Amino acid sequence: MDVAEIISHHILDHDWGVTLSGFRIPVTTHTVTLLAVSLVLLLGLHWISLGRQSRAGRLLTTLMEEYVLFIRDGIVLPNMGKEGKTFLPYFCTLFLFVLCSALAGLIPNMKTATANISVTAALALCSGGLILYCGLKFHGIIGFLKGFIPSGTPGWLVPLIFPLEVVSMIIKVCVLAIRLFANMLSGHMVLICLLLIIFVVGQMHIAAGAGALLPAMGLELFMTCLELLVAFLQAYVFTLLTSIFAGSVIHTH
Amino acid sequence: MLGPFTKQDHWEITTLGMEFAVSEALCTGVGYWLDKRWETFPWCLLAGAAAGFALGLYQIIRAAGKMTKQNINLKKAEQKDGRR
Repeated sequence: MDVAEIISHHILDHDWGVTLSGFRIPVTTHTVTLLAVSLVLLLGLHWISLGRQSRAGRLLTTLMEEYVLFIRDGIVLPNMGKEGKTFLPYFCTLFLFVLCSALAGLIPNMKTATANISVTAALALCSGGLILYCGLKFHGIIGFLKGFIPSGTPGWLVPLIFPLEVVSMIIKVCVLAIRLFANMLSGHMVLICLLLIIFVVGQMHIAAGAGALLPAMGLELFMTCLELLVAFLQAYVFTLLTSIFAGSVIHTH
Repeated sequence: MLGPFTKQDHWEITTLGMEFAVSEALCTGVGYWLDKRWETFPWCLLAGAAAGFALGLYQIIRAAGKMTKQNINLKKAEQKDGRR
């Protein structure tokens, strides 16, 4: 295998699904990770919600309370106002899911599900649906459509501005998906490229490969720590931008 | 002169570059697809690229206008309250 093949093998999804009587069941590494993360979150959060009196139970309950308060006071209320309280469960789920999917990719033999454009597109579609729902709920169909026309726009410009605004909103949702996908994918590409430095240099001379071992591993460690930060940052950015866009639809003027 | 931006403004500014790139890529892609369909290469592609550029610019100008307006409203409210 050459370098390009190794990189693509590390990054791309692998389908090892089965075909049962003509019906294909797509089992891929990303779907398995996705299901594993969902299952762990469901069971873990259910266990926390039971309010166990053990030390770990109390600690996790306090941690979850702080987390929900952070999402409510740090993300939802400043951007969406009190109207956003209804959607707090969605934002809490979104943040935790994006974060855990990214963190799962740092576990050996697991992949980052959010490094797949289909997953991030599905998440962005959910966020787009929420934005649409907010607009329709708080303004009705006519009011929501009126919100696309900036105040003070001359009448003759409306047929030009309206489609531009609609496309802008669609692009905002696309950007959510592409940003998360690109950040996750590029992080993993950098990680594998840094590891490959050792083998590429080693092919020139074995001593050079041995010499490249320490710097490459140091960089690898640094990048892994950075990936940890990126996981939190991207979860925060995705949730925050969804709340900002939803807030801009709720408070149009 | 513009005053300090709000936290929301800062986050919106960070998305503007990518919004510009995505509008450009999306419109160019649509142009390319239309070219393939109607065999008009490269006219739809060029028109798509131009439309994408215009759309990206529109988004930036619109965001800047919105932020300026919010800032002016904030300053007016502050003056009304007697805050400086």
